Amino acid sequence: MKQKIGVYICQCGSNISDYVDVDKVLDSVKDLEGVSLVKITMFSCSDSTQNEMVDDIKNEDLDGLVVASCSPKLHLPTFRNVAIRGGLNPYNYVQVNIREQGSWAHSDNPKKATEKAIQLVKAGIERTKYSNALEKTVIPSEKAVAVIGAGIAGMKAAIELADMGLSVYLIEKDFFVGGRITQWEDLCTVEELASDTVTRLYDEVKSKDNLTLFLGATAENMSGSVGNFKLTINIRPRYIKSDFNKDKIEELTGKCKTLTPNEFDFGLTKRKIVFKTYPGALPDIPVVDIKNAGDDINIINEFKDHLDLDRKDESITVDIGSVILATGSDPYTPKVGELGYKEIDNVVTFQEFKRIIELSPNGKLKYNGKDIKSVGYIYCVGSCQAEGNMYCSRFCCTCAISTSLSINKRFEKIRFYHVYKHIRTYGKQEVLYDQAGRQGDIFFKFDEDEEPVVSMVDGEGTITFNDLLTDGEEISVSPDLIVLVTGMVPRDDYKRVAEVFKAPIGRDKFFNEAHPKLRPVETVIDGIMIAGASQGPKSISESTKSALSAASKADALLHKGEIELEPTLAMIDTSLCEGSGLCIQACPFNAITMIDAGGKKLAQVEKSACKGCGWCLAVCPHDAIELAGYTNNEMEGMIESLITV
Amino acid sequence: MSKINPEFADTLAKYGAFDITACFNCGTCTSICSLSDEDNFFPRKMIRASVLGQTDKIDSSLEPWLCYYCGECSTSCPREANPGELMMSLRRYLTARYDWTGLSAKFYTSKLWELGAIILLALFVLVMFILFAGPMDTTLTDQGGVKLNTFAPAKVVHIADWLMAASLVFFLTGNVFRMYWRTIVKDESVKIPFKLYFTEAWKFVFHFATQWQFSKCGDKIDDGEKKKEKTSTYWIIHLFLMTGYVLLLIMIVGFLNWFQTEEIHPWWHPQRLLGYYATTGLFVGLIYFTVQRIKKSSEKAKFTHYTDWTFLVLLFLTTLTGIMVHIFRITGLPYATYYIYVIHLMVLFPMLMIEVPFSKWSHLAYRPFAIYFSNVKIAAKKIKK
Repeated sequence: MKQKIGVYICQCGSNISDYVDVDKVLDSVKDLEGVSLVKITMFSCSDSTQNEMVDDIKNEDLDGLVVASCSPKLHLPTFRNVAIRGGLNPYNYVQVNIREQGSWAHSDNPKKATEKAIQLVKAGIERTKYSNALEKTVIPSEKAVAVIGAGIAGMKAAIELADMGLSVYLIEKDFFVGGRITQWEDLCTVEELASDTVTRLYDEVKSKDNLTLFLGATAENMSGSVGNFKLTINIRPRYIKSDFNKDKIEELTGKCKTLTPNEFDFGLTKRKIVFKTYPGALPDIPVVDIKNAGDDINIINEFKDHLDLDRKDESITVDIGSVILATGSDPYTPKVGELGYKEIDNVVTFQEFKRIIELSPNGKLKYNGKDIKSVGYIYCVGSCQAEGNMYCSRFCCTCAISTSLSINKRFEKIRFYHVYKHIRTYGKQEVLYDQAGRQGDIFFKFDEDEEPVVSMVDGEGTITFNDLLTDGEEISVSPDLIVLVTGMVPRDDYKRVAEVFKAPIGRDKFFNEAHPKLRPVETVIDGIMIAGASQGPKSISESTKSALSAASKADALLHKGEIELEPTLAMIDTSLCEGSGLCIQACPFNAITMIDAGGKKLAQVEKSACKGCGWCLAVCPHDAIELAGYTNNEMEGMIESLITV
Repeated sequence: MSKINPEFADTLAKYGAFDITACFNCGTCTSICSLSDEDNFFPRKMIRASVLGQTDKIDSSLEPWLCYYCGECSTSCPREANPGELMMSLRRYLTARYDWTGLSAKFYTSKLWELGAIILLALFVLVMFILFAGPMDTTLTDQGGVKLNTFAPAKVVHIADWLMAASLVFFLTGNVFRMYWRTIVKDESVKIPFKLYFTEAWKFVFHFATQWQFSKCGDKIDDGEKKKEKTSTYWIIHLFLMTGYVLLLIMIVGFLNWFQTEEIHPWWHPQRLLGYYATTGLFVGLIYFTVQRIKKSSEKAKFTHYTDWTFLVLLFLTTLTGIMVHIFRITGLPYATYYIYVIHLMVLFPMLMIEVPFSKWSHLAYRPFAIYFSNVKIAAKKIKK
């Protein structure tokens, strides 16, 4: 029990003292048992007051500290530091909030505000009395990181981590790297090709000794906690040896007949079963799609000496300290019939349109063999919905408009109609909107409650809408190609990935960060970072920025080789524990395990996994669990003083 | 449901200088325009119709004629799209649309057609003189004046005048009727009770005579004082010019026998006073507008379509030769008088034949008719409510 507690009552200029009678608070607590010093301060957080507190702790030999001021969210770390400087354990410091919960909340009733402040300070003093000195736990950690997804964000993060000296496992589900951007090829707002960008990154990835790339690989299971995870990876066979005979494989490809829709081109083209997604795909090794081989299986067997047909799925486990999820996004797929999609021939999504551009011959934009002279964009398809995907996909306006500009440099004059809800070519890209207008593109705005309708009119796919820019008049346009500017949604397997890594998912179904401003690439699960579009729609540059932040957060966490943990963790009193196991069920972090201690089943807390949430305390039928920093004595002391007037 | 035709912008571009692609629908032009109110988003509605090529909407609109081009929309346009000039172009376009012969569109879009027509009509006048002119009598009257009525008897010229006036009326009436048909008859949103055509008729006369619509220009502008001054100078000079040429037209077409005499009247005689008033009005007006266009001193003078120059030049030459005829006649220079008289008519005739029904001068009719029609419509809507 602390007997020499110093209590400081802050006026916060006049923020507190205007409504709380600080002198009365001082009078009410100065004679309490255990209090050896009470002071009123103008600004407790000011340098001079902090120094005064440090001196008081030393000179008066204080064993506990209470500052009644603002929210601990603001100044808990400040006064814990004061405690440390005075030679006190920081956990013997208690902050009492009499501003947000006192003067500000009850500015209409200063008398009651003062009464409440007195009770709160008294409770704080009680808690300090029973507080224990706690030390941070230090655990050793692996200097290795797994990056999930070898798209642009994943590759960028992996390269950066490797440069920082950590071991990196880059795990890609596909057999080729690059992710979504390779499907775009002609990148927006920069005159650069995705294949060049990916080639550059891939070469860098291959040049790092401490970076291992797994292709056709999926993360299956992860155990352990921050600093010491065990990740099991499943690797599917490519069926082609890495030292393959190029001529023989080409011969095999030539003989294959079976065609399947090429997912890479959203089914706009067909591919063989020995294939690369696109000619420049990396690594430059084809894949054999045995499942869809059909009759070609015989040809494949003919070439078995050059193939790796006996290979099975392989499972390996790696030790890592942290994970970066860079699994990217899928394009939103409209429902059949949504704005004519899959029902009207010339309706495609924006992502399909990008492939159509790449697949068109030089100088002529063609779709289904027909020349395209005019294109009608319908914006916000699958984004900014009243119900469903409420978020803005951010990249679409900019990319659609950028494409309307770049396409006119590449093909004969194509007229663009932009049927939009909002145009958000935010930031530096605002200039694109201007350029598009000047090139003769025509913009139409529909009300969000009146979505456009796509239907067949006189044999032509036609967009009909009420144009707010023409006084709400009903207008229709029949362009050669109707492009639904579809946004981003999480990858179809986001749930599986989230389950493996316990990654939290937001209402929009993307992975959720711990704090949008202060912890933008971390999740509430320590050691699990998120990067790129797996977190929410992002442009390429935004993705790489978040990848670099995630990499530096992972490095900051692991480079010392040990991790400090907050000491406010669950503690099990083995003398009371009866091994009911209820705490194990309650723990959301899988931090409690059951051990056998000489025939007696006992619960044990894995310190590195425990977050100090307190769920286990509430369910323990034997009251065998205490939370450090929030012990029963402290809590009961506080409650006692709060209810005693 | 209306279909759009963005290629219309290319057609319209031939009628004036504006950047239709610059417009991003902000509506600044409409908030500054004194003609815009909650029922009528002017000029924005017209701009949008032009962008989308909604020609039906443009054809049935009276609004472009109500605009007297104060130019505020153009100066305040953040994109320098020049909406004021777009309205000017729409007026040229509408003039061409009202004209059923198709000549107007040719004159507005082809310099060759315009120049060709002028030369053709001038030659026609020359041929007529060669065929039908009287002798060039060099003897003078008792007062020392030239015997003009011997060379070109007023009675004969008067008949030619009437023929010309009849054809002008024929074309112009037809065009005004087409304007009426498209803007009133085809407008299904409003039925006009017959009596309104009479009760509102005074507005036609009033606006024709006073050009009162000018006074609305610059109403919404902060530095209104200065603008108002500029606007009223413009208004007075335009009125002076307009009354001048209307007066001359009346004297030539209605009273040539009285206007073209061999007798030299004293200076205070109404024939001379009216003539001097009219020619001064024309001269002052022409110099003012020409200087404005050369100096580009106001928004409306910044761009001059070649048809504007044609009008100014022809009117200037007509006035100049007219004055010369008068001077040569009373100072007794027979040949000078006769030749200049021929030239005078060679300019006058093409000017009236081209400008009045097919080009710039038709606004003399279209503007007051537009105000009249639109007031009839407003009155009809009020009754309906």
